[in-house]
Formats: sequence, C-alpha cells, structure tokens
Amino acid sequence: MADTESDLLRSSLDLLILKTLSWGPMHGYAISEWIETATDSLCLVEEGTLYPALHRLERRGWITSEWGVSAHNRRAKFYKLSTTGRARLRAESPVWQRNAGAIAAALRRTSSEIA
Amino acid sequence: MTLTPGWRRLFRIPRVGRRGIERDVDDELSFHLAMRVEKLRDRGVPEEIANAEALARFGDASRVRDELLTIDQQFAREARLMDWLDSVRADLRYAIRTLRRSPVFTIVAVLTLAIGIGATSAIFSLVNGILLEPLPYAHPEQLVSFAQSYPEKGLDSWQLSQENLAMYRDGASDFASFAGFARRGVTLGGEHPERLTVERTTGEFFQVLGVAPLLGHTYGNAEDTPRTNSVAVLTYAFWQSHFGGRRDVVGTVLDLDGEPVTVIGVMPRSFAFPRSDTQVYLPLGLDPTRRFGWFLGGVARLAPGVTVEQAHRQTTQIFRRWAADMPQLLPPGIVPERTGLTTLVRPLQSAIVTDVRRPLIVLQAAVLLMLLIAVANVATLQSGRAAGRAREIAVRGALGATRTRVGRQLLTESIVLAILGGVAGAALAWIGVREFTASGIVTLPRLDDVRVDPRVLAFTLLVSLACGVLFGLAPLWHAVGRRATSDIARAQREGSHRGARRVNNVLVVAQLGLSVTLLVAAGLVLESFQHLVRTDLGFDPRGVTAISTPLPMMKYGTNASAVPFTETALRTVRSLPGVRSAAFVQVVPFSGAVNTDGYLIEGHAPPSATGTEKQVVTNVVTPGFFRTLNITLLRGRDFTTADRDGSLPVTIVDETLAREYWPDLNAVGRRMRLTGDTTWLTIVGVARSVRDEDVATPSRPHMYTPIAQQPTTWLTLVVRSDGDATATTDAVRRAIHGIESGIPLDGVRPLTQYVDHALDTRRMTEILLGAFALMAVLLAAVGIYGVMSLYVSNRTREFGIRMAVGAEPSRVVRLVLSEGIALAIVGVVLGVGGALIASRWIGSLLYDVSAHDPLAFTVLPIALGALAVASCVLPARRAAKSDPLVALRAE
Repeated sequence: MADTESDLLRSSLDLLILKTLSWGPMHGYAISEWIETATDSLCLVEEGTLYPALHRLERRGWITSEWGVSAHNRRAKFYKLSTTGRARLRAESPVWQRNAGAIAAALRRTSSEIA
Repeated sequence: MTLTPGWRRLFRIPRVGRRGIERDVDDELSFHLAMRVEKLRDRGVPEEIANAEALARFGDASRVRDELLTIDQQFAREARLMDWLDSVRADLRYAIRTLRRSPVFTIVAVLTLAIGIGATSAIFSLVNGILLEPLPYAHPEQLVSFAQSYPEKGLDSWQLSQENLAMYRDGASDFASFAGFARRGVTLGGEHPERLTVERTTGEFFQVLGVAPLLGHTYGNAEDTPRTNSVAVLTYAFWQSHFGGRRDVVGTVLDLDGEPVTVIGVMPRSFAFPRSDTQVYLPLGLDPTRRFGWFLGGVARLAPGVTVEQAHRQTTQIFRRWAADMPQLLPPGIVPERTGLTTLVRPLQSAIVTDVRRPLIVLQAAVLLMLLIAVANVATLQSGRAAGRAREIAVRGALGATRTRVGRQLLTESIVLAILGGVAGAALAWIGVREFTASGIVTLPRLDDVRVDPRVLAFTLLVSLACGVLFGLAPLWHAVGRRATSDIARAQREGSHRGARRVNNVLVVAQLGLSVTLLVAAGLVLESFQHLVRTDLGFDPRGVTAISTPLPMMKYGTNASAVPFTETALRTVRSLPGVRSAAFVQVVPFSGAVNTDGYLIEGHAPPSATGTEKQVVTNVVTPGFFRTLNITLLRGRDFTTADRDGSLPVTIVDETLAREYWPDLNAVGRRMRLTGDTTWLTIVGVARSVRDEDVATPSRPHMYTPIAQQPTTWLTLVVRSDGDATATTDAVRRAIHGIESGIPLDGVRPLTQYVDHALDTRRMTEILLGAFALMAVLLAAVGIYGVMSLYVSNRTREFGIRMAVGAEPSRVVRLVLSEGIALAIVGVVLGVGGALIASRWIGSLLYDVSAHDPLAFTVLPIALGALAVASCVLPARRAAKSDPLVALRAE
C-alpha cells in the first residue's frame, strides 16, 4: 500500500469507526461488518487492518473497550465511543464531507478554465 | 449485526502484564475469525474453505497481532504511569492539607530539619569544593606535585635546585612537561612603592597546568635562560585591582625591583596556582648550572598513560644518579641505592589538600551525626502525632484504603516535610557558605572553589529524601506495623502499645547515644585546641607588630649596605614613643618560610662519616631580636653592634640544639659551622627553643646569626609597643620612609596574626565541631523531653488506674524516672562506645590529649545522662498528677 493511500485510508477508517460506534457499543467483528456494508467493501480491503486502528483510537482515548459476552455467548471485546470520541466525530465529519465534496467536484471538472 | 442485546460486563479492570495483554489480543482476533467462519458456514460454505476464506479476508494476522501487542503494551505503560502520578498527586495534596492543619508541628519539624540539613550541606560544599571538585586545569588527573627526599639528612621534603629542575625537565620522559616555581616578594616601584606577591616560574609552568591566558600570551621555554625576567603574566585579581580590568594592559611596562618588565598576558579568574594570593608570574630565568639553592617547588604533567608510580621510579633513578655525582652529598663509600634517596611524586590535588582532608571528613561525619539527631527529633514529633492520628488512620482503613496505601500516604507526608526542610536547609547552607568564604576567618586551600553548586544541591536533595524516609519510618511503624484494625475506638488507645513504645525507646537511646559520641569527640578536639592555644611557643607574640621592610634591590644589592640602614632605622624607631624594643629579622615566626642547612659541631665527627646529618633552622637577626620577642637567653649574651663584619664570627643556638651536644647547656665558647661554609662560628649564647613552624610540633634545632656578619635585604622589622599599636606603627612607618623612601610598607601585621593563621584549620574544626555538638545536645535534650512527655501522656490511663487503686504519686514518679534512667544508661553506654571508636579515628586532630581522655569520657557522658534524666522529671511530675477520673473518662 502506498503511503498516501494508507494515510488517507487510516484517517477515513478512524472516522468510520467513530461513526460506527455512534450507534452503540460493538465488538470488532460487528464494526467490520458494518463498515463493509456501509462502504461496499471499499474501505476495508483487509479486515485485519481494523484492529490496529481500534487499539490506537482506544489509546488516544476516543473509544473505550470492555470485555463482554456476544450474542452467541462468546467472550468478546466491545468498543464504545467516549465523550471525546463523540466530540471528535462531530467536529471531523463536516470537514471530511466538505473536503470530499470539493475534491469530488474538482475531479468531475472537464475544463481547465477558471470560471 | 450491531450491539448484541444482553451483553454483560465480565471485567472492570483490564488485564495487565505481558501475558494478559497477549491473551486479550489473541482472544479478540480469534473471536473475529470464528465469527467470520460461522457466517460463511451459515451461507453453506464448507468448513475448510470457510477457514481459508476468513484468514484471507483478515490479511496478515501475525503482523496485526504484533502491532496490537505493541500498541497495547505502550498503552498499559502509560496507564500505569498516569495512575501512579494521580495517586502521588492525591497523596501530596493530602499531605499538604494535613501539614497545614498542624502548623506548629510543621514549623518546628521544618526548622529542626533545616538546621540539620543546612549544616550538612554547608560542610558538604567545603568537602565538594576542596576535596571532590577536580582542579580547574586541563586533565587534572595527570598533574603531580614533585619534590625530593633524603631522610638521612633530615630532608623529608627537599625542594629542587635549578640544576635538579633542568635534569628532570630534560631527562624524565615520563613527564609531558615539568616546571618549578618559587614564591618571592618584589617591589612595584612608583609614587607609593608596593610589595607584590610574585611566583617566579620556569618556562613550562603554564604548559604543565594547561591553562590558556585570558589576554595576550604566556611565556615558555624561551624564557628558561639566565637573567631573563623582562616579561610578566598577571593574575586576574591583580589585573582587576591595579588595571581595572583594562584590556589594553598587555604591553604595559611595570617597574619591578627597579627593572622594567613588560606585561604580556593575563590569566583567567579560576587560575590560582600554587596559591590564590599570587599577583604576578615572572619567568625565573632558569640557570641549569646553579647546583646549590634548593628553593623550587615542582609541578609536572604526566605523559599520557604514565602512572604516578612509573614517574616516581624513573625520577628516583635520575635523582640517585645526580646524588652520586654530587660532591660530598653522600657519605664516603655509600652508594645512593643504600640510602633513602627518593623523589616524591604525588597527585597534585591530594598534595594541595592533604592537611585539610581529615578535618573536613571529621566535620562531615560530625554534622551527619547531628543530622541524625535532628531526624530522631522529628521522628519523635511524628510519633507524638501518630498516636493522635490513630483514629484517622483507622477510619481510612475502614473506608477501604489498603495498608500500603496508608503507608505511602504517611511516607509522602514525611517526604514533603523533609523536602521543605531541605529547601530551607539549602538556603541556610547558601547563606552560611557565602558568609564563611567571604569572611576570611580561615584560609583553606581552594576556598575559592567552595560554593553551593548543583552537586551540593543534588546532595541536599538526596539527604533530605533519606531523612524523610528515616523519620517517616516512625509513623509507619505506628500506623501500618500493627494489624489494620476495624476497631476505631481501640485505635485511639493503641498509642501506648508495645511497638510504639519500642520505637520511642529506640529514639531516646539513639539521640542520647549520638549526642554523647559527638559531644565527647568535640570535647577532645576542644581540649586539644585549648592546649594548642596555651602552648608555650617560646616567644610572646602579643604586642609585637611585624612590618615587612624589603630593601630596594638595586640600591642594597651588595647586602652589606643594608647594615647601616638597619642600625639607623633601629636607632630612630627605638626612640619613638610607645616603642619598647625593636629589631630586624630575616624570617618571621609562622610566616611559612624557613631556611635550613646542614651543620657541623667542632670536635664532633663530621656527619658524612656516620651517614646521617641533621638540619638546623637558620635565621638572621639584629641585636634586640630576643628581647623584642621575649625569647629568654638561657646562657651567654645577645648580639651587639660590636658583632660586625671583620670581628669574631658568632652565633646563638637554641636549647634544642645545645641540649643535644651539651646536656648542661654549656655551649658558649664552642664552635660550629654550616656544611656549605668553611667559617667557624663561635657560640655566644643559648636561647630558649621557639616553635615557629607549627604550634603542635616541637621545635627543630635553631641557630641565629647577626645581620652584620650575614647581610641580607630580606628583612622584617619587629616592634614591641606599649599601648596603641596602630599609632606606634604609623609613627614607625613614617620614620622608616624618612630613612628610605623606596621601601613598600604595606605588609604590616600583628605577630599574633601569624600565629593565629597557623592554627586556622584547627580553629575552624574546633569552632564548627563545638557548634555541631552543642546543637546536637540541644536537639537531643528537646527530643528526649518530647519522647518522655509522649510516654507519660500515652500512659495517663494506666497511671490513673494505678493511683485509683491506691498507688502513691511518688511511686508513679519513680516508675517514670526509672524508665528514663534505664534508657539514659543504655544511651550513654552506647554513646561512650561510639566515642571510643570516633576518638581513635580523630586521633590525628588531637594534641596533648589522650584519645581516652578520662575527663571527656566521664564528665561529658555523665552530664548528658543527667540531662536526659532531668528531662524526664517534668513528665514524671505530670504523670503523678494524673486524675484517675479524667484518665478513665478520656476513654
């Protein structure tokens, strides 16, 4: 993976995780499923890359984790959005949307003229 | 799939430790894979394919695992650190709150500690600056001091001649550079001639020390030619005082002893070798052909990789070869190898501080003992509080605080206290050191290097922390050492339990023991100093003023012309009001200078045949010298003006010399001569022996010759005056200037000052040690009183009950007193034991006092023991007044 791509992916993955957890506590597998569905498998080429991102976010204090029992009665680690994580999500999403929109619009342009 | 309903918490506390983290990561990853496989199987994918698919979709699992472990371990470390910092912060806040609640306790404890820590740090800054701090020269570990020794001739430390110097400089490959130096006074000419303290050095002097000049340049080997002294290098202090630090001083021409000398450089401020009062460095103008005159001190830089021992071996060989060639030095038929001829090569730093090392270490030890007493004192205060705080601590325990937690909290409190004491102590040390170094009370080598520097501060911090832990143990013992009890009411009574009492007993015994040790040791040193001060020196320095009167070299170069000057000057001075007697002398007692020579007594075998030769201290005086210094003439007569050039050569010897050859002192009329001279001198008098080098050592043999037969221009006028010495001195100076205006007359000092100066280090030791011991006794008395009061108040209930069931108050008093006496006896016995060890260790500081001096070893311990018992009396009286009802109601 090229550096630019990984940086871009990492920051978008972080944001996606925060978004996912805004629905409520989830374990890693559930998060991966949600992201996969929500992004048509675009942002999570390898599911394994999710976990370092989760642990890093936890270390940063944006999410917290707790061990619990899954629906299938298995021991699973559940992640939960922290207050700072929620604030972060609220602050980042509009920025991301604006940037993504602007870049998308720019990429759609077909002429070099300055209107 | 989102949140599974019904999930529940398994753990609140994350797993810690490497193992726990690994298991968590593995569990998490395998959960993911299992879920994936399950989902695939649900869609009908066969088991093996589902497994492979799940792994493939996951990516590089082992890399992810490693990455997660790294992140989690870092996280765990950070979390632990944060937890710890949080708890420390909480402890600190709690400690400060507690201390602020009892301000009296806090202030007393901090002050006690400040005194102990301050004194310890102040002494350590002396030890640090003088003994530990490396000399401020390049690679100081390569520097050595150098001298020669010929023990059979009484030349234990024999300085170098110019010939010697050249032979080591050129012949000893173990030295990278080698230099000699000699202190001299020179007269700086001008309107008001001034006497300067000059160090004449050989060329490699600055190279040896490896210090570059601040301005200009220094001289070097090119100046090692005879009669080269036309350049000068100034010290920083002289440059500041005489040229106001002007940078254009290089090139200035000075008039030194009537010769023009050009300033070529200025040394940096830190440069102070061999002594800090040096003002100017001049090239010696080395003449290697000069065989005689051993007046140079040696200093050298070892070649890289060469040890002191190697240099010693090589130079001793050179020295012995020289000795074999030196006519008449060795007894006939004796080869140098059969003698004790050797060179003395010593690391420069230890050579410089050798005299003060022991006193400084003793002071440091003494002050540490005092600090321990201060610590015991604070521990007593802490114990007193611990009893009162038992309830609070029991409550905290009941609320779920673990024993370690409570212990840490109490320790934090002690350490906060100790650090407050340390800060105050550092301030005290800083003030003390500044005052001490500026006062000039004592002259110590390297005193300029003494300051409260970062190392001293680090030491202070360490000592403070150690103190905190030490006296923090007392409340720990009280609070944590016993089983945590949930019985809060009982906790209040626990103050009297056995453990606490044992702590208090240890504190009493320790304080008493330490102060006995310190006081006895100080007593011995004080007694020694008293003996030293009262030592009969053989002369009476009181009322005598010494005025240095160096004659201008140019005018009196022939020496003989100095004689008429002395006669005129003495006639004038003696006629001045207030002057009782006056004389000139070449070497003033205790001035640090001394001339010695070998000698022969007529009729006795020449020393060279027996192999050993004795040295005699020689001095040149005018008539009236013995009367002026009150030196009794035991036999014969003083010199007179009739003893002059051309008349019978005469000498006066001292009792020490005379006693050796003529036990009845009938030496008058006998003849002797100096080894290098063929003139026989007739002894005309025997004077009392005079201690003029060291108060503590018996005088060496002396002989005096009259100035008229041994002219010199190096003279000091000694004047004994009645009444106001200052007025008389002024009159004397005016009179001398009237006779010869070229003499700088700034060197005026009472003779007592020379003697005092010689006792400087001892005086410092005595004053400081005495002060520490006094402080220690005071602290110990307060501490013991505190412990006994505590003891009584803790047993109020018991005493109350005893009296309620019919015990007489006097019985209770006896009970308390007997407890106190038992402790005092143990403390005194241990203290005397400590003092016996200490006194052997300070043996070299004692003078005329036995290390087991019965006075110090009986009176002082008994006095301290009595003091300890006395401080039990008041608490005992209070115990007898215990009201049974009050005591019981207190429960």
